[in-house]
Amino acid sequence: MKPQTAQFRQNSASAIADERIQANLAGLYSGFHSARISAAAATDDWDALRDKGREIKSHVIENLDYYLDMMARNVERAGGSVFFAEDAEAASDYVVRVARKRGVEMIIKSKSMLSEEMGLNDRLESEGMEPVETDLGEYIVQLAGDAPFHIIAPAIHKSREEVSDLFTERLGSPRYDDIEDLTKEARRQLRRKFLAAGMGVSGANFMVAETGTVALVTNEGNGRMVTSMPKVHIAIAGMEKVVPSIEDLGLFLRLLIRSATGQRLSSYVTAVTGPSRADEEDGPEEFHLVIVDNGRSRILADPDLREALLCLRCGACLNACPVYRKVGGHAYGWVYPGPIGAIVSPMLTGLSEGKDLPYASTLCGACKEACPVRIDLPRMLLYLRKELTQGETYPEHRSASAGERAAMRGWRASASSAAAMQAANLAARMGQGILSSGAGIAKTPPSPISGWTDHRELPRAQKPFRSLWRDMQDDDRAQDAGDISGDDSP
Amino acid sequence: MTTARDDFLSRVSGALGRESVPDRPSSPPPDAVGAPDELAERAARVRELMARNADSLFDTLAISASAAGWNVARVPDDRAAGDYALEVARNLEARSGVFSLDPSVRAALSADDFHDAGIALTPIALDRAAADPSERQRDRDRLRSVMATADFGITGADYAIAETGTCVIIPKTGVSRLASLLPPVHIALIRRGQTLPSLDELFTLRRAAFAAASLGSYMNLITGPSRTADIEYKIVTGVHGPGEVHMVLIG
Repeated sequence: MKPQTAQFRQNSASAIADERIQANLAGLYSGFHSARISAAAATDDWDALRDKGREIKSHVIENLDYYLDMMARNVERAGGSVFFAEDAEAASDYVVRVARKRGVEMIIKSKSMLSEEMGLNDRLESEGMEPVETDLGEYIVQLAGDAPFHIIAPAIHKSREEVSDLFTERLGSPRYDDIEDLTKEARRQLRRKFLAAGMGVSGANFMVAETGTVALVTNEGNGRMVTSMPKVHIAIAGMEKVVPSIEDLGLFLRLLIRSATGQRLSSYVTAVTGPSRADEEDGPEEFHLVIVDNGRSRILADPDLREALLCLRCGACLNACPVYRKVGGHAYGWVYPGPIGAIVSPMLTGLSEGKDLPYASTLCGACKEACPVRIDLPRMLLYLRKELTQGETYPEHRSASAGERAAMRGWRASASSAAAMQAANLAARMGQGILSSGAGIAKTPPSPISGWTDHRELPRAQKPFRSLWRDMQDDDRAQDAGDISGDDSP
Repeated sequence: MTTARDDFLSRVSGALGRESVPDRPSSPPPDAVGAPDELAERAARVRELMARNADSLFDTLAISASAAGWNVARVPDDRAAGDYALEVARNLEARSGVFSLDPSVRAALSADDFHDAGIALTPIALDRAAADPSERQRDRDRLRSVMATADFGITGADYAIAETGTCVIIPKTGVSRLASLLPPVHIALIRRGQTLPSLDELFTLRRAAFAAASLGSYMNLITGPSRTADIEYKIVTGVHGPGEVHMVLIG
């Protein structure tokens, strides 16, 4: 998928103006978000599970080379092949190579965000092959030539009428008003593909290093089809998806699924360890695992961002985020939306393109609170903002304007001594006088201040913060005294 | 000559500030459940627990399975399980069904009863006598098309999970991956004493199976019907897998 992270402002503005998208996003909150909260409340020691999950994933990330090596050796021991792909292109090349070797024309796919990241479908089509998305949401998105809107529910931005129109137009199916009928139509269409396809491509929710197992979490059953029906199964996995032992899966399945949909367990969890054995009745003859870097080692190399690799891709931070819930998944312009996307996308596609994304957050902390492995998303968003403003550590990204940088440096200098701070405040008050128009600051102050005021009115400060703080402290003391004396007066 | 794997792993090592893949992790893995050297002991405890708490686990399973969308039936014995399966098939006005060759399924089903009801029953098992590859392929294709057109599939289970209402199927000779997936109705027969308390105990037993070199290539955890909420959050069952699922608890 081609990144459009640079268009965040335009994309989010149009999403906010779109009533349909706003209604669907409201459903997201009452749906997944509430389900997650109830599921967490119904799980014994939920917070202890989160701590344990974080501890295990952190251990893996700090020893990622060790566990990837172990994973690869154990997949091979189980009779599978492993390919390590430096980037999206190398990974797609490998998939194409395997397909060519087996003379494959049709490829059935279960939902994989990494596949979107790789642009695998476009590539397969350009090779004359037919990739078929089989998760209902992904199928709709593929028919529409659209992009996934949400990690868990890719087509949640489409209404039943739109899906019906799409099916009529693309599949020649009759018009259906009912969602059950639309689902049945998709079942009919895709069942034929499942029976005919020569290869299946799946993602991987977890790779278990000790056993060489790939675990998949699905609800529709398409993951089972993709891993059982065709003669060849290729699983593609981002390199961060490892856990050490199969005994860790109980914990991680609880964390992932309860955070994603609020279910106790998804309808299906499928564990694949190599190709089908000779004594089995069915299953693929070949199993391949493609482990993909595609920029993840950049995240790994930065200790301040490393914890982004703990992510289980549950989508809870999207549902919890007040910004995602207004602008939706497409505004972020790439595969991974929401708070985690605002960190991962700029790092994987280039910080200069994605410079607006770290600002697509109010830093309210709801994402961190929702995260099943307690990723400190607000801290990393702030870190990326700082990097963007300083423009030094990441040479390729566009730095903040020279004026803004100078202002930040000035603030840093003045904040370090009380006298300098007072002097600066006085200057600022005089400065705002020049810009002011009545109660608020004028809407068109010169750059770089305009970056802060283009979309909101900056109120005119009547008093410096330091004196305001002093007054408030005095008020508080008076209030406290009133409470202690049991005085009922307000 | 370095391979793509060497380059990849050395890039990862480099990002972690070291030159090459270490021989062991920097600290022992913080296992979710326990360390491998106690594995045999832990697995033995799980088996003992399954036996000792078989009754209460079975009761909990009935509740959680029902909450997960299974039609739960409790029957006294194998014969009654077979009758229940036949009743489901009759209600479907089924013409054909498939089954796995688990011991519980063999014990429960009476081929004559189904035959008398006009329902063709096919076991999903390859003809092991088929020698040449093209013959084997024809046999596979035959079984697949039988499954794809069957009205129901009857399977046993390796385990059930009380916490989640889950039926665990580990494919092997006589146990297909697809008999519980392709037909629109799945009937799972589960015996008292097969129920594990939670996912954790399942994975302990799987780790022990791996240690004994008998993990197999595949495992499915099935928790209720196939479902989606991809259009307008409305839950619809029977997307690609079975929309109607029955868990028959025997004994």
